[in-house]
Amino acid sequence: MAGGVLLALVLVPLGAAVVLMAVPGRLTNVVRAVAVLAALAMFVLALITFIAYNISSGGIQGELRWDWLSNVAFLGDNGITLHVGVDGIAAPLILLNGIVTLAGTWVSFKIDFRNKDFFILLFVLSAGVFGTFISLDLFFFFFFYELAVLPMYQLIVIWGSGPAPYGANRDRTYGSMKLTMMLVAASVAIFIAILAIFNEAGAGTFDLPTLWKAGYSPAFQKTFFPFIMIGCGVLAGLWPFHGWSPDGHAAAPTAVSMLHAGVLMKLGAFGILRLGIQMFPDGARFWMPALMVLGTTAALYGAFSATVQRDWKLMTGFSSVSHMGYVLMGLATLNPIGVNGAVLQMFSHGVMTALFFAMIGSVYDQAHTRDLRAFGGLIHKMPRFVAFFTLAGFASLGLPLLSGFVAEFNIFVGTFKTYPLFGALGVFSALITATYILRMFSFAFFGPFNARWSGLRDLLPTEVLAGSLLAGAIIFLGLWPSPFVDRIAQGLRGIPAICPNQQCSVGLGASNIRPHAPPGTTPISWLIDVHTPTAGRGSGL
Amino acid sequence: MLLPMPLPASARRFQREHPTAWAWQTAIVGTIVLGGVAAIVAVIAALKSFTVYSAWLMPAFCGGAFVILALVRNYLPRKGDWVSIFAITGAFTIFFFLLHDYLTRTSGGGLAGFDNSFDWLNVGNYGLRVGFFVDPIAIVMLAVVATVSLMVNIYSTGYMHGEARYGWFFAVLSLFAAAMMTLVLADNFLLMYVCWELVGICSFLLIGFYYERRSAVEAAKKAFVTTRAGDVGFLIGIILFWRATGTFDVQTIINAAVHHTNGLSGAYLTVATLFLFLGAMGKSAQVPFQVWLPDAMEGPTPVSALIHAATMVVAGIYLVARTLPIFQAAEGATTVVLIIGVVTALMAATIAIVQTDLKKVIAYSTISNLGFMMAALGAGAVTGAMFHLMTHAFFKALLFLGAGSVIHATGTQEMPEMGGLAPKMKITFITFLFAGLANAGIPPLAGFWSKDEVLKSVFDNQNAVYLILLLLWVLLSGIYTARMIILTFFGKPRVRHIYNHAHESPPSMLLPLIALGLLSIAAGWVAFEGIGKALGFPGGIGQFVIPFGGEGELLSINGGLAVGATIAGLLGFFIASYYWWGLGERAARVAAHFPDLYDLVRRKFYFDEMYQAIIDRVVLGFGRVVSWFDRQVVNDTGVDGSADVTGFAGFELKLSETGKIPNYALAIAGGVVVLAIIAFTTQGV
Repeated sequence: MAGGVLLALVLVPLGAAVVLMAVPGRLTNVVRAVAVLAALAMFVLALITFIAYNISSGGIQGELRWDWLSNVAFLGDNGITLHVGVDGIAAPLILLNGIVTLAGTWVSFKIDFRNKDFFILLFVLSAGVFGTFISLDLFFFFFFYELAVLPMYQLIVIWGSGPAPYGANRDRTYGSMKLTMMLVAASVAIFIAILAIFNEAGAGTFDLPTLWKAGYSPAFQKTFFPFIMIGCGVLAGLWPFHGWSPDGHAAAPTAVSMLHAGVLMKLGAFGILRLGIQMFPDGARFWMPALMVLGTTAALYGAFSATVQRDWKLMTGFSSVSHMGYVLMGLATLNPIGVNGAVLQMFSHGVMTALFFAMIGSVYDQAHTRDLRAFGGLIHKMPRFVAFFTLAGFASLGLPLLSGFVAEFNIFVGTFKTYPLFGALGVFSALITATYILRMFSFAFFGPFNARWSGLRDLLPTEVLAGSLLAGAIIFLGLWPSPFVDRIAQGLRGIPAICPNQQCSVGLGASNIRPHAPPGTTPISWLIDVHTPTAGRGSGL
Repeated sequence: MLLPMPLPASARRFQREHPTAWAWQTAIVGTIVLGGVAAIVAVIAALKSFTVYSAWLMPAFCGGAFVILALVRNYLPRKGDWVSIFAITGAFTIFFFLLHDYLTRTSGGGLAGFDNSFDWLNVGNYGLRVGFFVDPIAIVMLAVVATVSLMVNIYSTGYMHGEARYGWFFAVLSLFAAAMMTLVLADNFLLMYVCWELVGICSFLLIGFYYERRSAVEAAKKAFVTTRAGDVGFLIGIILFWRATGTFDVQTIINAAVHHTNGLSGAYLTVATLFLFLGAMGKSAQVPFQVWLPDAMEGPTPVSALIHAATMVVAGIYLVARTLPIFQAAEGATTVVLIIGVVTALMAATIAIVQTDLKKVIAYSTISNLGFMMAALGAGAVTGAMFHLMTHAFFKALLFLGAGSVIHATGTQEMPEMGGLAPKMKITFITFLFAGLANAGIPPLAGFWSKDEVLKSVFDNQNAVYLILLLLWVLLSGIYTARMIILTFFGKPRVRHIYNHAHESPPSMLLPLIALGLLSIAAGWVAFEGIGKALGFPGGIGQFVIPFGGEGELLSINGGLAVGATIAGLLGFFIASYYWWGLGERAARVAAHFPDLYDLVRRKFYFDEMYQAIIDRVVLGFGRVVSWFDRQVVNDTGVDGSADVTGFAGFELKLSETGKIPNYALAIAGGVVVLAIIAFTTQGV
């Protein structure tokens, strides 16, 4: 794969933002055309990146390096370089961002108020996300990471939605400020860790592959792993630093909620994997029980909170906390099955929650309330809306043949390998998820039609497009996870904490069954040996 | 995309204005497609490639029908019901080829299984294999699923006629058939679990089919969540087995459990097995998961017959039967199964006696029979359980379809509003009567033979207490069955206008009734060696479905037991006739005499209230606590609090910035002094 494609992933949205700046704001339709063309281009580029990633050769592909600052002051060779490349973990996430950005652009078609500025900020955000996923330089990683976080403030403040339909009067200023402050505070921790890493490695370079191989003392790793774990974890909704997520999501406009819950939260988990687990194997092993506890707590906590929410977006926000808890659980297993599940869950939750928010936005824009109890029998008026929402809901509660099951199953299996009790709690959390999802269905979609909503119209064509794209991704991953699983598995080979000596031979797709059974032989001999990379770590908690 | 697409206006107009032409076209298109697929089947069969390894074709047909119906049902004539019927007919046909091939291969040899697994996705070391496994247990289940699905599909063309979402109904029926057949054929727990959830979702969709009704929506939710609670256990059990053996393959795990290898022994094995059993309890509505099944009667009646009587609810029985060697290897597991089964059987039979809703009586009867099958498995009688599963599927589906016919005719489900319908609905009545007699275990109908087989096993292998309890169960079955028949078909019409309205149902509904009626009479005779041999089996069902590691043996009748059970059943009939004949004053008097007891049973032992309290108080209560904690402690105190502290500190500290030189000079001087003290103390030491 040519590195140019990767670079284009960042340059196309940034270029689109620049072009949009030149378009007069009153030509809203021109703005829309430019936006959708750019989003389509990003989607295609992301798809190319995903497909072109060669599974059999693995490793980092499409590398491209452009020296920026070297051999000056404290910087040595390759001091700060624009080093891009994609590995098996980034590839699905890049595709995810392409999908969600395109869907987000489609559902934002109906925005009339300053839509030019909206799309400019949206594309800057998207460029930041792409940049983070492809960066192999710590400096640019952090740069893009922040670039993705910061436009959020303006997007929420200017285009955000009103306060929750009941309870405290927390408006979008509150939500956006809280979100920005918490994420920036977390970035401080990451920044400290980055400087410490740079200093400890002593190579005078921010080049990530070099830093990964540098080797750090266990004490250093144990000290600075929490900086990464919490710093990135805040963005991933790590309990108890998840507070920005429900409030921020509730206040954000539709497309921003989609991108934020769908993609941006994954940056956090991706950061833990890239900067934390990959950089600090010993630190990761030391801190993983803590992450497992926090992840499981988030999964249960989010699910229980979601059961009693009346605000539709708050409920989805807590659902995100719960599902991101699964991601953290998967990461904390440190075995290939669990981590593979975690990355799958990032993708799965991304498309699923984006679909949730897209659909909620479609109703909210007409009804101007998000109070679940105010609705009822929406299916009579909005059958397509309900069809999409139901699909996302079923994926959310882990229905087989949809994306959620593939991801959660791997996470549960991985967790059971090392922490059976937490695995059981995770499975139990899936039951609570079923409870709140079905309660929501029953309140809002079914039952007698509430005549108050007879003025509602079904989805707009652009919303149907967005919904179909996201639903297609959910079904595709559910039916045929192999393209994802194989790429991720190649990515995990590069992480020593998960695959020591790049040896990972455990079946992951949804694990092995067995080879063909010759009748009449003793079946027990066909058992596939399960490689245990975390051997010697005891049975965990 | 399952988007409800409207039929083009032109097509709708054509349908309205030219009903005859529409029907003709339907018939022609149907015949062409039917003929096409029949030709394909014939070709495959002629090529003799149609073996047990082609079992996957059965679900594939129905799955294909689902995809077609989900996408384009509204553009098809008759909303595509024929696609579904056609697919299930194809599967039904294939079943016989499969059976023939199986019998040819085994030539009467006992517990042979044929495994055909292929890679679903397999790259490098990573792969998921989807496997299909055919053995006698699977064949019995397949026979049930294919037959009842076919009957219900045909019946539904009549029963669901004119419903909105007619096409959607058949789409989900197809999906259900596909998922259920795959469940039966799955050779590994993972695929089984996938289908387990899929049939659950089909059940959810069909129970909530009339989603305009709040009660239907609630029932669907309840069914899904309750079974899901069991599924949590199932999933944990599966993963625990995987953790020990590294595989999901059922036969491998059975071997490991039987030989206690791979650490599958002692408490670990028992715990994992009981988790597995939780899944079976949820699906098969065993106590304490029984609450969802009666509510599931909110779905259309054909659904009740197919999913909630004959197929999906016996998935739990099937799971335990399939993995019975594991249960037997795990210490104490079979005892749990036996006790749960007996308790379920007795409790449900008792509740059935006081219900007034016709479908609910049958629903409780189903739970009760499921408990009986579970008890049979607990007693180790896998043959008897599978036998009863088969006969029960036929007569219970018939009871439901008969009830549907009655409901279709009267427009009510309440038995107190019926009465005296026998002369108006002769065929429905006669078939219903036979099904009822089979349910009560009266010879020579189907239920008698299978029930006797189970009772004999319990008699041979278990404590006499269980046998007495199961005989009591037979008595109770007789009572509620007779009560149901009497209240519905005999006596004086209680509500005149309903009676006047009642009419016999159309042929499309009666045909399946008659077919199932014949099966309800004769399905039990496969116990005989001669009949089994005549059908091409190695012998009676006892020589076909053989316990793991056991020998096939011909079903033998224990004379005393058979007579005793029959007497118990007939006694039930007499008791019911005594109390409920006419207007049922005697029964009402008894109820008035024991008001508390009557209330306890009528309110289903307060299980619903208990669960409601658990959900309201515990789950939602805990949710509220967490939510409050999140709002007040984490957010308002933690996040906003720290922000407030920062803001407050800034506000206070700014006062120190006075802008006056002397203040700063003082501060500098003070700082120098402090630094000096620090320097001296640290240096001095």
